[in-house]
Amino acid sequence: MPPSASRPIVALCLAAGVAGGCKKEGAGGVKIGATLPLTGAEARVGAFYKEGYDYAFEQQNKKGGVKVGDKTAPVTLILLDDTSTQATAVGLADRLINSDKVDFLLGTYASHLVEAQSAVAEQNGIPYVNGGGGASQIYSKKYKWLFGLLAPVELLADAIMRWVDTQQKAGKLGKQLKVGLLWENTAHGKDFRKGVTDFAQKNTGAYRVLVDESFELNGKDFSALLGKVKAANVDLFLADAHLADYITMQRQYVTAGMCHKVLSYGARGSEKQAAEALGQKNVDYVLSSVWWSSQLADKNPLAKEFVDGFKARYNHLPEWYQAMGYETARALFVAIEQAGSLDREAVRQKLMAMKIPSILPGGELSFPAEFGQQSHAPFVVQQNQPDGSSPIVYPDSVATGKGVAPNPNCGK
Amino acid sequence: MQRFAELLVAAVLLAGLYATMAYGLGLIYGVLRVVNLNHGGVIMAGAYLGWVLHEKLGIDPYVSIPLVVVASFLIGIVVYRGLVRHLPRGAAGAVQSLLLLFGVWLVLRNAAYLLFTGNDQTIRTPYSTESVRAMGISLSVNRLAVFGIAVLTLVLLHLFLTRTFTGKAIRAVAQNPDSCTLVGVDVERIYTLTFGLGSALAGLAGLLGATLFSFSPSFGSVELLKSFVIVVLGGLGSVMGTAAAALVLAVVEVFAILLLPAYLTAAVGFVLLVLVLVFRPGGLFGQRVLG
Repeated sequence: MPPSASRPIVALCLAAGVAGGCKKEGAGGVKIGATLPLTGAEARVGAFYKEGYDYAFEQQNKKGGVKVGDKTAPVTLILLDDTSTQATAVGLADRLINSDKVDFLLGTYASHLVEAQSAVAEQNGIPYVNGGGGASQIYSKKYKWLFGLLAPVELLADAIMRWVDTQQKAGKLGKQLKVGLLWENTAHGKDFRKGVTDFAQKNTGAYRVLVDESFELNGKDFSALLGKVKAANVDLFLADAHLADYITMQRQYVTAGMCHKVLSYGARGSEKQAAEALGQKNVDYVLSSVWWSSQLADKNPLAKEFVDGFKARYNHLPEWYQAMGYETARALFVAIEQAGSLDREAVRQKLMAMKIPSILPGGELSFPAEFGQQSHAPFVVQQNQPDGSSPIVYPDSVATGKGVAPNPNCGK
Repeated sequence: MQRFAELLVAAVLLAGLYATMAYGLGLIYGVLRVVNLNHGGVIMAGAYLGWVLHEKLGIDPYVSIPLVVVASFLIGIVVYRGLVRHLPRGAAGAVQSLLLLFGVWLVLRNAAYLLFTGNDQTIRTPYSTESVRAMGISLSVNRLAVFGIAVLTLVLLHLFLTRTFTGKAIRAVAQNPDSCTLVGVDVERIYTLTFGLGSALAGLAGLLGATLFSFSPSFGSVELLKSFVIVVLGGLGSVMGTAAAALVLAVVEVFAILLLPAYLTAAVGFVLLVLVLVFRPGGLFGQRVLG
C-alpha cells in the first residue's frame, strides 16, 4: 500500500455514508510484520530478539492493544524466519508488505540484513523501525522510512576509549599508550576502527595506534595476527569481533602468553558462553561496551519495570538483544498512539519527532535526523571481574562498580 | 629472529590440521574420482560428535577419537552404499555426484541446525588454554596434540596404503579398476572402504578442529575450500604431496602477514592455487597414485 493510501479510503467511505461497509482504522487489529534470523548463522541472537518482540506485544495486548484515535486495537506480530540471509530477508519483507498487507514493519537483526531490508521499506513507503542494525553506513543513505535504535558502533569504541582515558588521566596507565587495534572486515568493524582512531587522533599525545589490522569473520587461525600485536609491544589491545571469533582469538591470546594493560573485544566480553568456553580466569578484566545492560534497572525505573517483567515471564535476565527487541516494538507502539492513526506518514512524522523516556542508557529515545534517524543513545562499558560479575564501570552516572586498570593478571 | 621462529612454529602446527582436513578429500578423489562435497558436512559432524561425547558423557576429545572415526566411517559407508554407488562412474557422473553430495551436505547442516541450533559451541578441557614454553615461544598444548595426531595419521595412512594388501588394492583400483576386476579385486568393496576411510579422516579433522576453534553448523565450509586448495597443490591422489602442500599453504598464509594486510592472507592460498593450476596443473609434487 502506498504511503497515506488509507486516508483517502476512509474519507471516501465517510463521504459516501457507508462507514459500515468500510473497515475502520485498527478495527481488525494492527498488523505488524517482522523477520528475524531464527535459523542460520545468526539464529542464536535472532531467538533473543524474538523474546523481546514477543514480550513487547504481550505487554501491549495486556493493555488492550494500541490506542488508535478513540479506539484500542490489539497488535498482531507476523514474524517470519529470514534464515540469516539477505535475499530471504528482502523477499519476506516484500511479502509482508504486499501479500500480508501489514501496517508497519519491525526490523531484523544484523547490519547486513537490516541494510538490505530497509531498501524494500523505503521503496514501499512503510515505517521500518529496527533495533538490530548498528552500522552507520545503513543510515548514511538518509532513508525517510528507516529508524534505528542501535547507536553507531563508533560510539561503542568511543565509550571504551573514554573509560581508558579516565584511567590514564588518573595516572594508572602511563603517559603515552600504544594501541593494537584488530577489527573484523565488516561495516561493524570499520565503525569500531573509526571510533578508536578518531579518539586517538583527537588525543594525539596520549595514544598511538601501532597495529591497525582487519581480519575476516569466522577466522580460524589468529596466531600470526596476534604475533604482530605481540611484536609491537602495545599497551592496549582492542579488537572488534563476533562471539565465535572472540572465543577463538582469546583462546589463542591466552595460550600465546599475551597480556595487556587493557583488553577489549568491543561489544563482546561479558557473555556467559565465553566464560564457559574459556574459563573465568581467562576472561577476567575484559572490557566490553554494550547498548544496554540489565544493571541499568538500578537507576532507570522503566528499565527496572522491563527487567522485572521479563524475568518473571522468561525466568532469566534479558541481555541487550532482548532489550533492543522490546524497545524497538515499544517505540513503534508509542508512535502509532501519538499519531492516533494507522496512516504511515503520520506515524513516520511521530517517529521523526520522537523524544520519549526509554530503557536505554541516557533514559531517552530519539531518532535524530542529522544522523539518518539512528539513535545516538550512549553505551555502557562493563568489565569482567574474577567473581564472575561484569559491573558497569562507565559512565559514572550509571556505574555499578569500579573498573580495574591496569590488568592485574599481567603482573602474575 | 624470534618473530620468524614464532611464525614458523605457528605455520608448522597449522599445517598439521590442514593436512588432516585434506587427506580424506584427496583419498576419495584419488580412488573414486568423485569430488566429495559432503567432506565439509562430515567435518562438521565430527566436531559435533566430539562435542556431544564431551558434554554429555564427559569423554575427553582425544580419547573419543576412535568413536568419532568409526562413526564418520559409517556415515561414509552409508552415503556411498545408499547414494554414490548408484551414479554413473567417471566424467558421466561428475555433475550428478557434485550435486548429490552437495545436497547431502545441506541435509547434514540443516539437521545440525535442528538438533543443536545455530549457537557457537566449543570443547573446553582443562588443558584448552594451557601452553608450554620452548626457546622463548609459547606453544599451545592443544595445537601440539593436534599436530602430533596429524603426523601419526599421515604415517599410518602411508603404511596402510603401501604395506597392507587392502592398501595396495586401493592403490591398484585408483590406477586401473578394470584390470583389478580381472584379477579378482572386489572393486565395489574397495570403493566402499575408501569412501568410508575418507569420511573417517574428515570426521577426525572436524574433531581436532573443534578442540581449537568454536564451531556451528556452518563449520566445514572454509575447511572444505582449504582442503581443495591443498589437494590440488599437492597433486591429486598423492598422500605425501597433500601433507607437503598443507605445509606450503600454512607457511604462505602465516608469513603473508609480514607483507600483506591480515584480511588478505586468507586469499593468498587461492592465488597460489590459480598459479599452480596455470603453471603446474599436476600440482606442486606431480600426479601420484596414492603413496
